[in-house]
Amino acid sequence: MFPSGRERQILNPLTFLRCLSCSTINSRPFREGDYVFGEVEEKCPKCGGDRMRIVGIYVKEPEQREKRQKQTL
Amino acid sequence: MQIAGQGDLLTSLIQLVWLLFLMIFILYPNFSQRLQLSYILRDLERKLYGLKRIREEVRSRVIETLRKYSDGNVDLEKEVDQILLSFAITPESMDPYGIVYKLEHIVNTWEDTFEENVRRLCPKADRERAKTLTNLVEVARGIDYLYRVVRHYYLLGKKTSNIYIVLQIQMLMPQLMEIAEAYRQACYAFMQGQPVGDGVGVLAAAKLVEGLEKKTYEVAKDTIVHELMMDGKKLFVLRAAGPGGTVGKPADGIIKIIENEGERVKAIVMIDAALKLEGEDTGKVVEGIGAAIGGIGVDKFKIEEIAKKYNIPLYALVIYESIGEAITPMKESIAKAAEEVVERVKSIIRSKVEEGASVIIAGIGNTVGIGLS
Ligand SMILES: [Zn+2]
Repeated sequence: MFPSGRERQILNPLTFLRCLSCSTINSRPFREGDYVFGEVEEKCPKCGGDRMRIVGIYVKEPEQREKRQKQTL
Repeated sequence: MQIAGQGDLLTSLIQLVWLLFLMIFILYPNFSQRLQLSYILRDLERKLYGLKRIREEVRSRVIETLRKYSDGNVDLEKEVDQILLSFAITPESMDPYGIVYKLEHIVNTWEDTFEENVRRLCPKADRERAKTLTNLVEVARGIDYLYRVVRHYYLLGKKTSNIYIVLQIQMLMPQLMEIAEAYRQACYAFMQGQPVGDGVGVLAAAKLVEGLEKKTYEVAKDTIVHELMMDGKKLFVLRAAGPGGTVGKPADGIIKIIENEGERVKAIVMIDAALKLEGEDTGKVVEGIGAAIGGIGVDKFKIEEIAKKYNIPLYALVIYESIGEAITPMKESIAKAAEEVVERVKSIIRSKVEEGASVIIAGIGNTVGIGLS
């Protein structure tokens, strides 16, 4: 039947946050209400600071073998 | 040696079958076509069923999402179905003079009405949220329309047994199914307000001015501009306001800036996502000349007109992506391209604009999930 395996999968992006006190960047799954350049109150896993700025929201792509194939064509 | 009779009988039988086949093809020349028609119809039916499932899924997700922001006084299902069937009539082109402005008028009214309807259904949604919800309903409308068109050709072909009708729609089916799947993904992205691939132009414009001292104000409906100095040049960085989903009115913004700045504007740099060809890498940044903006053409026309009037060169920077990638959550390669675009824009400004002059940089695209930097 049409919608099989790979196609049914919903792309879920990651949210990348930069700590405002130590500048470490870490990521977590996207949560509703997140937006790029938005500031959120979340604990930094490294220094414990509690303000972070969202620097990116995107779907992480696996390193593809396709890329190598493309070069031959 | 031969076993009497038996071999002969078999041969005769086979000959008879062949003869029958021959007769069918001679007396009934359409036989092979009929056979093919029924195969195609069955194939179409299966795909149409898949399309219907996607449409139902999107429709129910949309209603579910709208319900969160509704006050419960309206029959959401009925209202949404009504919005899905709404339409706009393009202006008469027999006499094309002034058609762009007529089209603009109709599209503006249509967009405003659409947004108003969504707001009416979702009184609990704030301004930004309402914009994203409007996008969401547009996605539902897109897939609904796609389904109805394919169903039309399927039923018409079946009713008239016309193989040429079903052949045409069958040929398009692979691309249409891809678009349908993209709509499905887009529905989830807009439900949660995630940035989509089309937003890369806006993202690049936002990254260009991130952390710099600037004056920010609204220049046209849903469109903001950051005014700042960079290497002795005055930059007007224009984009749609976020993080609600909107594309703004870039042409109106550019016109207003040029009318204020006059001859001082020496370049317009436009950044937008562009359709890649199959085999090309997603997120590739390419430079060109012209107004890089999609849509129905009103903005493109107006930007070209004002650029010609003031003799300002139009530089285009596009980021390659597929039609599906444009409306589904942004991919890493596209997000990374935004940083490359920033460098390219800076190099264009360095090489093409002299000190003391002004330059407009327009990030085109949907701002869903992209706030102000
Ligand atoms: Zn930290």
